[in-house]
Amino acid sequence: MGKLTNRVAMTTALGLVALTGCSVGGGSTSGGSGGGDVKLSLLTFETPNLTAKYWDDIIARTNAEVPGVKIEKLVAPSSEQRNEYARQLDSTGALPDIMVAVDPAGLAESGKLAKFSRAELADWNDPTANSFDGDIYQLPTNSQTWQIYYQKAAFKKAGIAKPPATWNDLLAAVGKLKKAGVKPFVIGGGAPDGLGPRWTFSQLVATEVYAKDPKWLDKLAAGKTDFSDPLFVSAATKMKALAGKQNVDDLSATYAEAQDAFLAGKGAMYPMGSWFPAAPNKAQQKQIGVFAMPTQDGSLVMPTYTGGGLSVSAKSENVAKAKKWAIEFSKQNADGGARYDGLFVALKGYKPPTDLPPLYNETLGLYEKGRSSGKVTADFGSEGGSLALPSGFMTEVDASLTDLLNGRSDVPTFVKKLNTKFKELSK
Amino acid sequence: MTDERATRPKTSFVGLDNYRLLIQDEGFRHSLWNTVIITVIVVLLTNVLGLAIALLLRKQGRLYSLLRSVYFTPVILSAVVVSVIGRSILADKGLLNSTLVSMGVDNPPGWLTDPSYALYSVSGIMVWQMLGFAVVVYLAGLAGIPVELEEAASLDGAGPWQQFRAITWPMLAPALTINTVMLMISSFKIYDQIAVLTNGGPGTDGTATVAFDVVRTAFSEQRPGVASAMAGIMLVVVAIASVTTLRLLQRREANL
Repeated sequence: MGKLTNRVAMTTALGLVALTGCSVGGGSTSGGSGGGDVKLSLLTFETPNLTAKYWDDIIARTNAEVPGVKIEKLVAPSSEQRNEYARQLDSTGALPDIMVAVDPAGLAESGKLAKFSRAELADWNDPTANSFDGDIYQLPTNSQTWQIYYQKAAFKKAGIAKPPATWNDLLAAVGKLKKAGVKPFVIGGGAPDGLGPRWTFSQLVATEVYAKDPKWLDKLAAGKTDFSDPLFVSAATKMKALAGKQNVDDLSATYAEAQDAFLAGKGAMYPMGSWFPAAPNKAQQKQIGVFAMPTQDGSLVMPTYTGGGLSVSAKSENVAKAKKWAIEFSKQNADGGARYDGLFVALKGYKPPTDLPPLYNETLGLYEKGRSSGKVTADFGSEGGSLALPSGFMTEVDASLTDLLNGRSDVPTFVKKLNTKFKELSK
Repeated sequence: MTDERATRPKTSFVGLDNYRLLIQDEGFRHSLWNTVIITVIVVLLTNVLGLAIALLLRKQGRLYSLLRSVYFTPVILSAVVVSVIGRSILADKGLLNSTLVSMGVDNPPGWLTDPSYALYSVSGIMVWQMLGFAVVVYLAGLAGIPVELEEAASLDGAGPWQQFRAITWPMLAPALTINTVMLMISSFKIYDQIAVLTNGGPGTDGTATVAFDVVRTAFSEQRPGVASAMAGIMLVVVAIASVTTLRLLQRREANL
């Protein structure tokens, strides 16, 4: 019988070896253009808006301005997995020379990223955004805000005359929409990017926590408060009231599926970041409106993040050239970032093109109103810099939010789980 | 053995602290339990279905060759592709639920979003992917059974069930050994399917396995020290389970 085992095993092993040879290898593609004596790798990610062609074009234009650089383009498996992918590459000693919108946490503290000097940041509006003990490791190239997009037709059908301004207005709108047979929210949250509920919750943390106590995160980091703080509990309670399973269309939808569902009118409201206006087509732009997450008293609060630009590896073959390329890229990409990613470019004197979609301008208007007559707060989960939440903590928040929404968890359990994980990750 | 963390410049030796931490960690224990459940389901179900299909496909002929290819296709596809297809079928508004709704089911189950089903859904996708492998191994085993034995049994008046019980099943012992050990190892290291189908969810007590937890801890939480300890525990568990199973099944072979 031993011989028979060996024969079957050999057949199986040969089959597996043959199959291994058939598998597709490599997770990256090369692209870009331009020749030169310095070869630098650039980690990007692709989305329906930021296509391979988009990146290739911008790489070519940047190369034209920074001669002597040849870019090897690497593409993360998905836009949401770019942070993990960068860290996987780092663990194999292959941290890319330049990275687009990769969270610098961990990489910065361990000296793996190059610092940008004040002189290099002279053209940026907020050169201290996301600093690590005063040092900047990621170009603070754009600002992003979080708000609620809504289908005007759904509101009209439910008899909602104008976007809700107060918390009670919002609850009333949810009631009217349900009565009219319209799902109030599209949120999503299914794999592989289970962060759909975060966009709603981060707005509630902004209105309930950061707007009321701007130093809350400092206190959390110092151990002077935790997630059982009444302010945070209030945000969680509102989350459950607003976005429980009965109010949400398809919690298993992935990011892309949720966006498609909202654009197709399968839900009335879509809490999302300011990059969303790049998604609707011309006709859809007119059918969608935007408003800030209502507060109890109707005051305006805008959660905002400024950062998200390029980082450079401290071990790059040519750090100076990589930084020069990253800075030039930021300028070359400004219009494209606004047009295709809905970014509010944070470069001094930057004027967006005049033909940007109406929803972009409406969202930008909301942000500017927030800056001039409201409150601008940090965004929960993307605070950045020294005071950021521990790496990986938001994964626990995302999962716990899903429990909260689908009824498997209540607010005290939600708070307890966050406290346990925060303590574990802060050690 | 160290408290290595990307956000900390210095690394210190912490002895067995990481292991102590993991033993007390409810989340890790849950991941370990999920891994065991998936492994048991995959090993049992894939073996049973694989053997049944191999017996059906044993005959020669174009139809049978075609069916062998059909069953083997998921094996040569990457786990990610198989999982994406699985997602399109099992999502809340996927093919399966759309069909159920069209048949009049008002609230079809959340195959991937309801924790009561999610782990079994993931196991089902894994079974689908590994089934072709098990079928091929059993077919190879069936091909190794001397025809004379079955012919002699038939002449002696043995029916199909008696032939299967007395000749086929015992003679397939080596194939069972290979399938069981290979399926066990594949199930213990399941990662891709979890990442694509559920991302470890739904919620906090969902479908995370040890391999998924290792990647999440190492790269998302940036705690390679703890992740290494997890991988160490997994190595020991897989080694013990594989060697024990292999010994037991080989003893069965030796008794033939």
